[in-house]
Amino acid sequence: MIEDASIVALIRDSLPDARVEIVDWSSFGTRDHFNITVRSRAFAGKPLIDQHRMVYDAIGAALKDGRIHAAQLKTIAED
Amino acid sequence: MSPELKTEIEHEVAAHKILVYGKGTKAAPRCGFTLETIEFFNRFGYPFEVIDALDNMPKREALSELTKWPTLPKVFINGTFYGDTDILEPMAQSGELAKLLEATFGYAPADKQTINLR
Repeated sequence: MIEDASIVALIRDSLPDARVEIVDWSSFGTRDHFNITVRSRAFAGKPLIDQHRMVYDAIGAALKDGRIHAAQLKTIAED
Repeated sequence: MSPELKTEIEHEVAAHKILVYGKGTKAAPRCGFTLETIEFFNRFGYPFEVIDALDNMPKREALSELTKWPTLPKVFINGTFYGDTDILEPMAQSGELAKLLEATFGYAPADKQTINLR
Protein backbone atom coordinates (compact mmCIF):
# COMPACT_ATOMS: atom_id res chain seq x y z
CA MET A 1 0.00 0.00 0.00
CA ILE A 2 1.38 3.38 -0.96
CA GLU A 3 -0.15 6.78 -1.63
CA ASP A 4 0.22 8.40 -5.05
CA ALA A 5 2.01 11.37 -3.48
CA SER A 6 4.67 9.08 -2.01
CA ILE A 7 5.34 7.54 -5.42
CA VAL A 8 5.63 11.01 -6.95
CA ALA A 9 8.01 12.07 -4.17
CA LEU A 10 10.19 9.00 -4.70
CA ILE A 11 10.40 9.70 -8.43
CA ARG A 12 11.07 13.41 -7.95
CA ASP A 13 13.93 12.59 -5.56
CA SER A 14 15.76 11.11 -8.55
CA LEU A 15 14.14 13.09 -11.36
CA PRO A 16 13.42 16.56 -9.97
CA ASP A 17 11.73 17.85 -13.15
CA ALA A 18 9.52 14.80 -13.54
CA ARG A 19 5.80 15.18 -14.19
CA VAL A 20 4.14 12.01 -12.92
CA GLU A 21 0.68 10.51 -13.55
CA ILE A 22 -0.44 7.52 -11.50
CA VAL A 23 -3.37 5.17 -12.02
CA ASP A 24 -4.07 2.67 -9.26
CA TRP A 25 -5.44 -0.51 -10.79
CA SER A 26 -5.10 -2.63 -7.71
CA SER A 27 -8.02 -4.87 -7.01
CA PHE A 28 -9.56 -5.02 -3.54
CA GLY A 29 -8.16 -1.63 -2.66
CA THR A 30 -4.66 -2.95 -1.93
CA ARG A 31 -3.15 0.14 -3.59
CA ASP A 32 -0.06 -1.74 -4.81
CA HIS A 33 -0.59 -2.14 -8.59
CA PHE A 34 0.01 1.04 -10.56
CA ASN A 35 0.34 2.49 -14.04
CA ILE A 36 3.01 5.15 -13.73
CA THR A 37 3.64 7.67 -16.53
CA VAL A 38 6.70 9.88 -16.12
CA ARG A 39 7.69 12.87 -18.25
CA SER A 40 11.21 14.21 -17.81
CA ARG A 41 14.01 15.89 -19.72
CA ALA A 42 16.38 13.40 -18.12
CA PHE A 43 15.08 10.74 -20.53
CA ALA A 44 16.13 12.66 -23.62
CA GLY A 45 18.43 10.65 -25.87
CA LYS A 46 18.20 7.49 -23.73
CA PRO A 47 16.91 4.12 -24.95
CA LEU A 48 13.45 3.30 -23.62
CA ILE A 49 14.75 0.44 -21.48
CA ASP A 50 17.16 2.81 -19.70
CA GLN A 51 14.39 5.35 -19.17
CA HIS A 52 12.40 2.63 -17.40
CA ARG A 53 15.47 1.59 -15.39
CA MET A 54 15.70 5.18 -14.12
CA VAL A 55 12.11 5.02 -12.88
CA TYR A 56 12.62 1.57 -11.34
CA ASP A 57 15.73 2.86 -9.56
CA ALA A 58 13.69 5.77 -8.19
CA ILE A 59 10.93 3.53 -6.80
CA GLY A 60 13.28 0.65 -5.96
CA ALA A 61 12.80 0.87 -2.19
CA ALA A 62 9.00 0.68 -2.55
CA LEU A 63 9.32 -2.29 -4.91
CA LYS A 64 11.69 -4.13 -2.56
CA ASP A 65 9.53 -3.72 0.51
CA GLY A 66 6.33 -4.54 -1.35
CA ARG A 67 4.55 -1.19 -1.03
CA ILE A 68 4.47 -1.38 -4.82
CA HIS A 69 3.73 -4.92 -6.02
CA ALA A 70 3.53 -4.25 -9.73
CA ALA A 71 4.10 -1.23 -11.93
CA GLN A 72 3.33 -0.68 -15.58
CA LEU A 73 5.64 2.11 -16.72
CA LYS A 74 5.36 4.66 -19.49
CA THR A 75 8.12 7.21 -19.95
CA ILE A 76 8.11 10.28 -22.19
CA ALA A 77 11.28 12.24 -22.90
CA GLU A 78 10.73 15.97 -22.82
CA ASP A 79 13.00 18.33 -24.69
CA MET B 1 25.37 -14.43 -7.15
CA SER B 2 26.68 -18.00 -7.24
CA PRO B 3 28.65 -18.99 -10.34
CA GLU B 4 26.31 -21.99 -10.79
CA LEU B 5 23.29 -19.69 -10.97
CA LYS B 6 25.02 -17.39 -13.43
CA THR B 7 25.92 -20.36 -15.64
CA GLU B 8 22.41 -21.78 -15.40
CA ILE B 9 20.94 -18.47 -16.53
CA GLU B 10 23.48 -18.05 -19.32
CA HIS B 11 22.65 -21.53 -20.63
CA GLU B 12 18.92 -20.86 -20.51
CA VAL B 13 19.26 -17.53 -22.28
CA ALA B 14 21.45 -19.09 -24.96
CA ALA B 15 19.12 -22.06 -25.41
CA HIS B 16 15.99 -20.08 -26.34
CA LYS B 17 15.62 -17.40 -29.01
CA ILE B 18 12.73 -15.91 -27.03
CA LEU B 19 12.89 -16.52 -23.29
CA VAL B 20 10.51 -15.17 -20.67
CA TYR B 21 11.37 -15.48 -16.98
CA GLY B 22 8.04 -15.10 -15.27
CA LYS B 23 5.77 -16.03 -12.42
CA GLY B 24 4.21 -19.37 -13.27
CA THR B 25 4.42 -21.35 -16.49
CA LYS B 26 2.95 -21.05 -19.96
CA ALA B 27 0.26 -23.53 -18.99
CA ALA B 28 -0.32 -21.95 -15.56
CA PRO B 29 0.77 -18.31 -15.42
CA ARG B 30 0.45 -16.96 -11.89
CA CYS B 31 0.74 -13.23 -12.54
CA GLY B 32 -1.13 -10.88 -14.81
CA PHE B 33 2.04 -9.53 -16.42
CA THR B 34 3.36 -13.02 -17.15
CA LEU B 35 0.03 -13.93 -18.80
CA GLU B 36 0.11 -10.66 -20.75
CA THR B 37 3.65 -11.44 -21.97
CA ILE B 38 2.59 -14.93 -23.08
CA GLU B 39 -0.37 -13.49 -24.99
CA PHE B 40 1.91 -10.83 -26.43
CA PHE B 41 4.26 -13.41 -27.96
CA ASN B 42 1.36 -15.61 -29.07
CA ARG B 43 0.53 -12.78 -31.48
CA PHE B 44 3.83 -13.19 -33.33
CA GLY B 45 3.74 -16.90 -34.18
CA TYR B 46 7.30 -17.71 -33.12
CA PRO B 47 8.17 -20.32 -30.49
CA PHE B 48 9.06 -18.99 -27.04
CA GLU B 49 9.95 -20.45 -23.66
CA VAL B 50 8.60 -19.41 -20.24
CA ILE B 51 10.69 -20.28 -17.20
CA ASP B 52 8.98 -19.99 -13.83
CA ALA B 53 11.13 -18.07 -11.34
CA LEU B 54 8.37 -17.20 -8.88
CA ASP B 55 9.52 -19.30 -5.95
CA ASN B 56 13.28 -19.17 -6.62
CA MET B 57 14.44 -16.04 -4.83
CA PRO B 58 18.20 -16.59 -5.34
CA LYS B 59 17.61 -16.90 -9.09
CA ARG B 60 15.32 -13.87 -9.13
CA GLU B 61 17.98 -11.82 -7.36
CA ALA B 62 20.66 -13.06 -9.76
CA LEU B 63 18.47 -12.17 -12.72
CA SER B 64 17.77 -8.70 -11.32
CA GLU B 65 21.47 -8.16 -10.73
CA LEU B 66 22.41 -9.35 -14.24
CA THR B 67 19.78 -7.25 -16.01
CA LYS B 68 19.64 -4.22 -13.65
CA TRP B 69 15.86 -4.72 -13.78
CA PRO B 70 13.98 -5.40 -10.55
CA THR B 71 10.78 -7.04 -11.74
CA LEU B 72 9.40 -10.14 -13.43
CA PRO B 73 8.63 -10.89 -16.21
CA LYS B 74 12.03 -10.48 -17.85
CA VAL B 75 12.31 -11.07 -21.60
CA PHE B 76 15.41 -12.08 -23.55
CA ILE B 77 15.45 -12.20 -27.35
CA ASN B 78 18.44 -13.79 -29.08
CA GLY B 79 20.46 -13.48 -25.89
CA THR B 80 19.69 -9.78 -25.38
CA PHE B 81 17.59 -8.44 -22.51
CA TYR B 82 14.53 -6.37 -23.52
CA GLY B 83 12.77 -5.71 -20.20
CA ASP B 84 9.07 -6.55 -20.51
CA THR B 85 6.04 -5.65 -22.61
CA ASP B 86 6.34 -2.02 -21.51
CA ILE B 87 9.44 -1.99 -23.76
CA LEU B 88 8.31 -4.56 -26.34
CA GLU B 89 4.88 -3.08 -27.08
CA PRO B 90 6.27 0.19 -28.50
CA MET B 91 8.79 -1.91 -30.48
CA ALA B 92 5.89 -3.99 -31.84
CA GLN B 93 3.98 -0.86 -32.87
CA SER B 94 6.99 0.64 -34.64
CA GLY B 95 7.61 -2.62 -36.51
CA GLU B 96 11.06 -2.90 -34.93
CA LEU B 97 10.14 -6.11 -33.11
CA ALA B 98 8.85 -7.91 -36.20
CA LYS B 99 12.16 -7.14 -37.95
CA LEU B 100 14.16 -8.32 -34.91
CA LEU B 101 12.19 -11.57 -34.68
CA GLU B 102 12.46 -12.27 -38.39
CA ALA B 103 16.22 -11.70 -38.22
CA THR B 104 16.47 -13.87 -35.07
CA PHE B 105 14.54 -16.82 -36.50
CA GLY B 106 15.43 -16.38 -40.16
CA TYR B 107 11.83 -16.66 -41.35
CA ALA B 108 8.68 -14.61 -41.38
CA PRO B 109 6.06 -15.92 -38.96
CA ALA B 110 3.32 -18.14 -40.22
CA ASP B 111 0.54 -15.59 -40.52
CA LYS B 112 -1.82 -17.86 -38.62
CA GLN B 113 -4.01 -16.15 -36.07
CA THR B 114 -3.64 -17.80 -32.63
CA ILE B 115 -7.07 -18.19 -31.08
CA ASN B 116 -7.07 -18.09 -27.28
CA LEU B 117 -9.74 -20.57 -26.21
CA ARG B 118 -10.30 -19.34 -22.70
